[in-house]
Amino acid sequence: MAGMKTASGDYIDSSWELRVFVGEEDPEAESVTLRVTGESHIGGVLLKIVEEINRKQDWSDHAIWWEQKRQWLLQTHWTLDKYGILADARLFFGPQHRPVILRLPNRRALRLHASFSNPRTVILSLPQLFSGIRHPEELSLLRKKKKKEKEPEEEVYDLTQVVLAGGVAPVLFRGMPAHFSDSAQTEACYHMLSRPQPPPDPLLLQHLPRPSSLVDKTQLHSRWLDSSRCLMQQGVKAGDMLWLRFKYYSFFDLDPKTDPVRLTQLYEQARWDLLLEEIDCTEEEMMVFAALQVPGGPGRLGVAGVRASIPLTPLLPQDSLTAIPELKDHLRIFRDGSPAGELTLKGYRQYWVLFKETTLSYYKSQDEAPGDPIQQLNLKGCEVVPDVNVSGQKFCIKLLVPSPEGMSELYLRCQDEQQYARWMAGCRLASKGRTMADSSYASEVQAILAFLSLQRTGGGGSGNHPQGPDASAEGLNPYGLVAPRFQRKFKAKQLTPRILEAHQNVAQLSLTEAQLRFIQAWQSLPDFGISYFMVRFKGSRKDEILGIANNRLIRIDLAVGDVVKTWRFSNMRQWNVNWDIRQVAIEFDEHINVAFSCVSASCRIVHEYIGGYIFLSTRERARGEELDEDLFLQLTGGHEAF
Amino acid sequence: MGESSDDIDQMFSTLLGEMDLLTQSLGVDTLPPPDPKPPRAEFNYSVGFKDLNESLNALEDQDLDALMADLVADISEAEQRTIQAQKESSQNQHHSASTEASNFSGAASLGYGANVTATSVSQYVDDLPPPPADPVLDLPLPPPPPPPEPLSQVSLVVKVHMDDNSTKSLMVDERQLARDVLDNLFEKTHCDCNVDWCLYEIYPELQIERFFEDHENVVEVLSDWTRDTENKVLFLEKEEKYAVFKNPQNFYLNNKGKKEGKETNEKMNAKNKESLLEESFCGTSVIVPELEGALYLKEDGKKSWKRRYFLLRASGIYYVPKGKTKTSRDLACFIQFENVNIYYGIQCKMKYKAPTDYCFVLKHPQIQKESQYIKYLCCDDARTLNQWVMGIRIAKYGKTLYDNYQRAMARAGLASRWTSLGTVNAVTPAQPCTGLKTGATQPNGQIPQAVHAASAVLEEAQRQAETAKEKRPAPGNHREPAAPRAHPAPRASLPPPPPVRRSSDTGGSPAPPDDFLPPPPPPPLGDAELPPPPPPELADSPPDFVPPPPPPPVLAGDPGSALPPPPPPPPSLRPECAGPSPTVAKRPPMPPKRHDNPGLPAGGGSGEQDFMSDLMKALQKKRGNMS
Repeated sequence: MAGMKTASGDYIDSSWELRVFVGEEDPEAESVTLRVTGESHIGGVLLKIVEEINRKQDWSDHAIWWEQKRQWLLQTHWTLDKYGILADARLFFGPQHRPVILRLPNRRALRLHASFSNPRTVILSLPQLFSGIRHPEELSLLRKKKKKEKEPEEEVYDLTQVVLAGGVAPVLFRGMPAHFSDSAQTEACYHMLSRPQPPPDPLLLQHLPRPSSLVDKTQLHSRWLDSSRCLMQQGVKAGDMLWLRFKYYSFFDLDPKTDPVRLTQLYEQARWDLLLEEIDCTEEEMMVFAALQVPGGPGRLGVAGVRASIPLTPLLPQDSLTAIPELKDHLRIFRDGSPAGELTLKGYRQYWVLFKETTLSYYKSQDEAPGDPIQQLNLKGCEVVPDVNVSGQKFCIKLLVPSPEGMSELYLRCQDEQQYARWMAGCRLASKGRTMADSSYASEVQAILAFLSLQRTGGGGSGNHPQGPDASAEGLNPYGLVAPRFQRKFKAKQLTPRILEAHQNVAQLSLTEAQLRFIQAWQSLPDFGISYFMVRFKGSRKDEILGIANNRLIRIDLAVGDVVKTWRFSNMRQWNVNWDIRQVAIEFDEHINVAFSCVSASCRIVHEYIGGYIFLSTRERARGEELDEDLFLQLTGGHEAF
Repeated sequence: MGESSDDIDQMFSTLLGEMDLLTQSLGVDTLPPPDPKPPRAEFNYSVGFKDLNESLNALEDQDLDALMADLVADISEAEQRTIQAQKESSQNQHHSASTEASNFSGAASLGYGANVTATSVSQYVDDLPPPPADPVLDLPLPPPPPPPEPLSQVSLVVKVHMDDNSTKSLMVDERQLARDVLDNLFEKTHCDCNVDWCLYEIYPELQIERFFEDHENVVEVLSDWTRDTENKVLFLEKEEKYAVFKNPQNFYLNNKGKKEGKETNEKMNAKNKESLLEESFCGTSVIVPELEGALYLKEDGKKSWKRRYFLLRASGIYYVPKGKTKTSRDLACFIQFENVNIYYGIQCKMKYKAPTDYCFVLKHPQIQKESQYIKYLCCDDARTLNQWVMGIRIAKYGKTLYDNYQRAMARAGLASRWTSLGTVNAVTPAQPCTGLKTGATQPNGQIPQAVHAASAVLEEAQRQAETAKEKRPAPGNHREPAAPRAHPAPRASLPPPPPVRRSSDTGGSPAPPDDFLPPPPPPPLGDAELPPPPPPELADSPPDFVPPPPPPPVLAGDPGSALPPPPPPPPSLRPECAGPSPTVAKRPPMPPKRHDNPGLPAGGGSGEQDFMSDLMKALQKKRGNMS
């Protein structure tokens, strides 16, 4: 080994002194000095360092980081010469795994140990860590946004202590992967991962930054980390916060059963996309999105803690199981046109109403009931619209009943929630051609009551006091469910009925179904899945927007937002990046050539996006669980990757 | 009585066989001299007959009559001779399933359109008094194999108008989907079974029409028609039906960049089409084609049209309000698809002063008359119209549409080609039919279906192939549960269900079969509660099926279409018919008695009349023998 010297103390071999700092890039850190030669192997150097430090510790995770070259010296059989290391090299002997804070799509933070030396393990280890998040290749990491002001401290779930069983798929224990069931803390963490978060505070929503233009939407995409370089190389420090997001909008084989975490996080990302107006939708669509976020329905009640407030008492219209269930009562009815005032009873007349099977009949009075009704309506195929204002004690059911001649409108006004819930549930079932004997009747009634009780405690009221002591803080604030622009557009009491209306179509969905439906509706938006970049097309004198989606590139006019041209990946022959002039050149079929330079983000990010989508499109065919990481890197990595 | 009915059954079946045979040969100009080949006839007969069996029990006499009459109507004079010959020669052959492939090609050119509508909704009650035995019911059927279906099943006899102006009647039970009915029609008409064949409903009054989607429940759709409706069901080829799957690029790659209304369809190779379809229909959610542009909207209750900029989204049709931009946030919702169907508007230019004739219409399926709730939109050209209609169907039906197409493809026997496209594993054969409109889910709600094994497709294909060769005995064709072949219980007791639909009707005790042969069913109408229904041109059952069906006998032809077979004589008239029949028996046959009957629409071809009289005569004879 190096360090032979004469009796006089002069070194007689070609050895020289190498100083290595111990720790993470801290110049003040302790350092050791070794005597080495150019032929010394990295492995030997590591051994010497440990000997020098002379401390009992598990050093297995430690490796040498060469600061100037921004490179890990991981090839232990390489010599210093081969790496080109001389005495002036600044080397750090530190752990390869360091804690980072990962901000998940649901905007919760998680502290975990991430590899700072291997570019892909951060992402690829997620399935094992979270379990139930297959296809990690769709995810990637974003640098944290530069903060202007201090954000409030958020709760951080700590997963640094979790020990994973190596190599094998996580074992399920008590409905969650075994490594989460160690402590109450990790259990809570798993719930955070796999269950949707409660609606955000509307105030917070208003203060979070929202993109106001396409240009704003390009900002996000400048922050993606490079997947072919390790965290250390990209200047990430221990303890930094990174955002984990679904980067590629191509969700392969989404399966609620095997992917609870993936589904939930995807849902959360979709929700925040909508709430923060990263993607636009229409009013009607927003109401559906809002309704899908509302806890409700048999499967969703437990989650939001509305149990206490559901009166479960007289739900069934009939005690006897054999009788055909029917509803009969005095109700106020309004026909033809809409009632004049919101809260008045003007125009309503009281009738004796009989609801049997799917048919609604009404009579002047109860005595006339055996005779001919004033009107008889078969509700099958009709539209049922709730018209409710809980704080105003208005419980109306608007019926749009189709007939060969057209539609007739009818308003039923109920006295209280109980009555409303029973009749409403009956009407809804009848509109689908089912009767109150249907097994879903009771749960329908419950879902309606649950929703009403949410409303009662929430922002639906204008200065009305909540009713009863069971009104808790868990009430529904409709503002937490919609994008801020709807907060400005509607008063809460206008918004609630709209959401209620949309809710009735989804009230019966289970939590998972609702999430899936949410994701599907999100995917159906015209602007879904487009990542925007500001670019300068070759030969053009102004900046334009390039949209990258999973199947196409879109050239968009920056000022107007109109689509100028679309190219599909399926017609793409090849693409090249000229790293020197930061230009991406793409060739399509029929000799169509496109070239642009990237303005808002590095061209490496654009390149990786395109390559990533090409890679993901190959999954269809292979369909195996095994990912071809090499192919991924080939397609997404730059020239340095080779 | 059993005996007699057997005979009659035989006759009936023979007749049916003849009719089929003749129908087939209709397509060929020159008919070879009736060289009745019994076996062939038999075979055909069994095809036709199977359907009958399916819901035989539910049938009323009148309905049967109607059915028979319709069937008869298909026959031309030439056929008569055959029949004659056959009567003597081939009485007993009817179950000799002959495998002979007949000149089927000729038949293919006959488009058959179906039309009927009809009527029988009957609830079968076991303990009814022996129904006026309609001999036909007792046909020597192959022993009822399958277990009985729920007895309360509802069936309609539907008259389907073929595109050659003929009609065919078939039983449609309440669980059959349009796909099943198409399959039936394929068998009956020997057409080429390609995917463009569709059931098509037209509303002459509103001048609108549309395809039945293959997953739609036919009885449910028909139940929205009013009793006196002029609506018709057609069986025809429409290439628009699945155009998107044949040339997806015309719908999905409508490059917004270029504004030109190029009529040229862009070419695309099969592989790209396939990947485009897969991308659009096989993802987590279906992609609705991006579609936007200025359309004319008819203003409510007026004949004026306003031009607006409309956009199609998965959630509905939107328009750009005045002074706003077409960004999502500014859009106003025009209509959502949950409660409406889409129709083509016909000749709106004339009827409503539309700017062009390329109109589409959105309305709730139950609306049958002009109403402010019907929305009319008008496009500049046919291409745009087709894009909108298809786009809306995709938005409304989502993946179901694709599943339907794949099933239709499989049925069309293109399985091999399909396989080569590599999409086989995506094929999802439609589920067994149910009475519910399961298919009508919104696209967003579609959860990708588990992939079904390719074998299903192959099986379908195979089946198809066999059918094509006509080698296959009819009974094998249907797997749907919907086809109850027989209800053993009722059978046993022999009585064909009383014609009566309602229990009240049962009061009219059926005459003992022996007395008059074609036992007069109690006049359907006569009963106290029901005023005799006016002779509806198209009878349809009331939506809930509760009300009495329109008088079956009458129901037949729409006034509009001249052709079709007069409806069967009302049962009550039957005896009458029987009387005269002997005289009629001679050829040239006299004008059909049917015409004499009150309430019958005129208009059968003379041949048909002859045939009818023939039948009567035969019946008479039987009766004579028996007694």
